[in-house]
Amino acid sequence: MREIKTVTVLGANGTMGAGSAAIVAAFGKAKVHMLARDVNKAKEGIEKAISSIKTDTIRPRLIPGSYDQDLEKAVSESDWVFELVAESYEVKEPINKRIAKARKPGTIVSTVSSGLSIARLADAFDEDGKKHYYGTHFFNPPYKMILCELVTHAGNDKKVTKKLGEYLDKTLGRAVVYTNDTPAFAGNRIGFQLINEAAIKAEEYSDKGGIALIDAIMSGYTGRAMAPLDTADFVGLDVHKAIVDNLYEMTKDAAHSTFKLPGYFQKLIDKGDLGRKSGQGLYKMTKTPDGKKEKLYYDIKGDLYVPVPKFDIPFIKEANRRIGEADYIGAMNIVKEAKGLEADIARYFIARYVSYSLSIVGEVVETKEMSDLAMGTGFNWAPASAFVDFLGGPKEAISLITKAKLPVPEVLAKAKAGKPFYQLKDILDARSLFKG
Amino acid sequence: MKDAVYVLGGEQTDFQRNWTKEGKTFMSLFREAVQDGLEKVGLTPDEIKKLNKQNRIGVFVGNFDGEQYAVQGHMGAFLTEVDPCFFGVPGARYEAACASGSVAIDAAQTKLRSKDYDVAIVVGMEIMKTVSSSVGGDFLGTAAYYEKEAKGVQFPFPKLFGKLADVLLERYKLDEKRYMGALAEISRINYANAKRNPKAQTRSWFMNNEHANARGGEFNMAVGGRLAITDCSQVTDGAALVVLANKNYAEEFAKKKGTKLSAYPKIKGWGHRVAPITFEAKVAESKGDKWVLPWTRQTVKDAFDRSGLNTKDIDVFETHDCFTSSEYAAISAFGITQPGKEHEAIEDGVIDFHGKKPINPSGGLIGAGHPVGASGVRMMLDIYKQVTGTAGDYQVEGAKNGLMLNIGGSATTNYVFVVGK
Repeated sequence: MREIKTVTVLGANGTMGAGSAAIVAAFGKAKVHMLARDVNKAKEGIEKAISSIKTDTIRPRLIPGSYDQDLEKAVSESDWVFELVAESYEVKEPINKRIAKARKPGTIVSTVSSGLSIARLADAFDEDGKKHYYGTHFFNPPYKMILCELVTHAGNDKKVTKKLGEYLDKTLGRAVVYTNDTPAFAGNRIGFQLINEAAIKAEEYSDKGGIALIDAIMSGYTGRAMAPLDTADFVGLDVHKAIVDNLYEMTKDAAHSTFKLPGYFQKLIDKGDLGRKSGQGLYKMTKTPDGKKEKLYYDIKGDLYVPVPKFDIPFIKEANRRIGEADYIGAMNIVKEAKGLEADIARYFIARYVSYSLSIVGEVVETKEMSDLAMGTGFNWAPASAFVDFLGGPKEAISLITKAKLPVPEVLAKAKAGKPFYQLKDILDARSLFKG
Repeated sequence: MKDAVYVLGGEQTDFQRNWTKEGKTFMSLFREAVQDGLEKVGLTPDEIKKLNKQNRIGVFVGNFDGEQYAVQGHMGAFLTEVDPCFFGVPGARYEAACASGSVAIDAAQTKLRSKDYDVAIVVGMEIMKTVSSSVGGDFLGTAAYYEKEAKGVQFPFPKLFGKLADVLLERYKLDEKRYMGALAEISRINYANAKRNPKAQTRSWFMNNEHANARGGEFNMAVGGRLAITDCSQVTDGAALVVLANKNYAEEFAKKKGTKLSAYPKIKGWGHRVAPITFEAKVAESKGDKWVLPWTRQTVKDAFDRSGLNTKDIDVFETHDCFTSSEYAAISAFGITQPGKEHEAIEDGVIDFHGKKPINPSGGLIGAGHPVGASGVRMMLDIYKQVTGTAGDYQVEGAKNGLMLNIGGSATTNYVFVVGK
């Protein structure tokens, strides 16, 4: 692999494009051609890049340009072309043809895609181009979320993959997760499975608090900074739809039915209520008559926004207290033994998360550590293997999964008792992801 | 030194964590640090119970300001909350501002050398993100002479160490650009080193020489005279634990572990000196001296005298880089250069990770983080890792002897330990 001195970023005005360009310019000290539809948009991208990483020193290395005027020249002098244009074959394939014509042999070309086939996108290139074509799936915002899924396809050269992985890791400071060219790769496959199933359950329990109830059950003590439906609102319901629709179409695993987009999501999308970016979606912030901020949630049945109630769920209080005292096993014991619907839901989702995260080992990633790293650094969710330890070990985790009538992943079934199941302790302290 | 004290190992928390954001308190920090540390060393609750029954074990807790940051004092008694095996174990909290960890280590080694106890568990801890940075800055001002140097001053310590930068520049008639460039390089080195340390606070943060040199403006604001944000250590939550033992127990422990006593490094020398508390008095007193911080230098000399070692024997240093100016002054205090020539060692790569005299392979306070009461213990742990070859990606090749300098206040309380096999 050539030394990466010059990079072209396509889609440089978006949050991901600008943020990724900032990483490459700052950590990689590379000259970055920031290309967008027009130069003014590219210049906006430069400002976004600088404020995302908070250093003006990268400004001289960021060069604005447009696809029409500058693409061929920029690509021809680049060592890496990083494409972050819209998530569709219709947009990416014509651009790839132009890149393919302009690139020098040995130039890396990579895409940020949440679900498109890397092998299909690589088809635009000649043999050398295919060999150097990758998915480099950064997460939002790139400076804070350090995950990079490095997606390979059959045409890649292992030596180049190794060098690129080292560059992403050692130079750009990414947590590199190697994944196969499978739908949504590792992080989004696991993350959006849980989010969409939470959305389905919210509809099922819409008369009991729906969206707000499910998020309350899946709060910090379950190992996440942001509850799942709040996350969907944060990423945008349209983005959520694109990911789960693709997963529903392209996968046929045991969780297949959980990728079906709930009807109320489509209804909100059709109304333009896409989440935080459009002002309202699953949630809406408002002010009470006395000027205080108030969070409302979307009442699915009533098709209206109502205040998020303060749920009084004793086992969650107790689990939170235990987490607050750094008693993680104690907190999981509370969850395991609690009675009632909320506890049943909590157990189901913990079981589902552990089961599904570990089930992709072999198909999407080679090891459970890759799956754990993806969730820990891309979603800030406590990795599945850490749950296994806090649940009391593989036997206890299998028991929870079996009770939830979910598949027991092979890697868990084969695990030896008495040895910590979570192996990334020195890379990622999973305890930090449990919030009390 | 007679009556050697051995370091059996330890552990630290991930200094990147924000315990308040996690909904956790000083107690959870304490609990995780102690549980992880004892597990890493291999000191079991049953063994602690047995040692306690024989009155052979004590606990020494370094903490600067639990009262203000955590609204909790009496930190020396808190191991009892971690595990009942600590019921009855003599324990107390030790405080000397940023040198609190070292004063705890010092108290522990004294009890071990006198054979009052055979085993000492030393914990350093500070939780700091419970308050805003300006409130925390005021709390930290109590490490200076608050009434005279900190009251009503926003961020007093960057200002005090900014003054140190001024004095160094003036006293040695240094070229300002070259000197400030050297300070920026100290920052760059510490951040670069922190990237290899999986427990460092800034391991995923961006820093390079260009950014560290770009002082002023919104991205690298001036905070204390010449010093900008990149010249400062960070507000950090964290704790560290080391287990020390005298020969009586270290031999027993080695046998139990199926290893030799020589597997464990010793505290070979130490120094402890207190300079006048106000910065102004320090400067006035040092006029005419070769060193701007003569008591810091004296502390290093004391540790060398007690260990029978000298600068040439030290393979790795952990220093108290609360600010780039403090690390700058430490370079000559260690004897790496003559005073006023520190920038030459920086420019020549002498103190870099692969240099002849690497300083702060862990990332130091600027890169690894500075949970005030924990820093001294964290440094001892890092020197232990270096001389036992267990520092992983930040291992300095072939390190046999290491030295740590931990200071409290504006180089007021000075502590040095030399550790090696």
